[in-house]
Amino acid sequence: MTAAESASAATESTPLEGKYVYCIIRNDRSREFGEIGIGSGARVYTVTHKDLSAVVSDTPIVIYDPTRENVLAHEFVNETVMREFTLIPMSFGTIFRSENDVRALLNSTYQAFTDVLDKMQDKIEFGLKILWDRDSVVAAIERDNDEIRRLKDEITRNAASSTYFARMQLGRLVEAAMEEAGNRYVNDIHEQLKEVSVASRSSKVIGDRMILNAAFLVERKDEKSFDDKVKAISLQYEELLTFKYTGPWPPYNFVNIKLKLEKAT
Amino acid sequence: MGLLTNILLAPFLGPVWGTRWTLEKVDRVVREELTDDTRIKEDLMALQLQLEMGEIDDDEYVRREAEIMKRFREVREWREKFGMSTSGGPVRVAESDEPE
Repeated sequence: MTAAESASAATESTPLEGKYVYCIIRNDRSREFGEIGIGSGARVYTVTHKDLSAVVSDTPIVIYDPTRENVLAHEFVNETVMREFTLIPMSFGTIFRSENDVRALLNSTYQAFTDVLDKMQDKIEFGLKILWDRDSVVAAIERDNDEIRRLKDEITRNAASSTYFARMQLGRLVEAAMEEAGNRYVNDIHEQLKEVSVASRSSKVIGDRMILNAAFLVERKDEKSFDDKVKAISLQYEELLTFKYTGPWPPYNFVNIKLKLEKAT
Repeated sequence: MGLLTNILLAPFLGPVWGTRWTLEKVDRVVREELTDDTRIKEDLMALQLQLEMGEIDDDEYVRREAEIMKRFREVREWREKFGMSTSGGPVRVAESDEPE
């Protein structure tokens, strides 16, 4: 079969229709979530096995690139489902060949899905990235650290005679103080958010201005308290740090089920 | 955490399938370089952060995203050649006697 033939076969009789899976929920009846699926707004519905459902949409068998557009589509479905259900998110781009294959997943992983859904019941995730403004942090350090301030004054006063060594020394002190300050900020923020969250996970920071890249698991009923707390903290650190606060998300960073899947050829 | 961070770094429900065969002739280091997408993911997340911080506009984002997607596809092709796991695409529940 030539490429052209297989393409037209796919559009006319759709023998290649797969099921894109967004998430797993506890639900035992057929549900519709609207025409919001990946691709071009495919219908999003459920495939059910016992009291578990996979939220899916029809898709050609393709590999979706993790472009912003595709990722947003995947996310938007999960956000929509999340308004009503506790969900286990599937990894981006997961496609099964048939509803039966999706049911086989629900069947084979039934216990693990059930356990995780119980654990995640009524919990949501928030993301918090914190970036610092280096100049402000250095200024704050020079203000608060006597040793650094004295050394700096000395170097400024004796600009001509101040040694390379003194400058090196200052640089080292500032670096160390910055690292200490960064740790202090992060610890303080974690400590404050502990009261209003169930758990937290830190990921690798992105770029050289970020000092925290974390996810927090929060009880739905505590969403407002968590929100207020983040706002209060960002005010407290207004002059030093920039906060990037996102959510609520499904518990992406708190669910870790290794699915035994293989490529469907 | 941003969208891409979630999608790319989360300890996700990921398809896991085994290495069926390897090309032993290819040096391990070279292979790791060809098949490692850690750096690409980092670049994508850094790009997203730049967009969020207003350092680049949408057009610039889309242009650079396309380059990054190209790199992803290249790594995916190599991973497939080496029989390594890739994410996305059609999957099914593995037979119980399948190697991990």
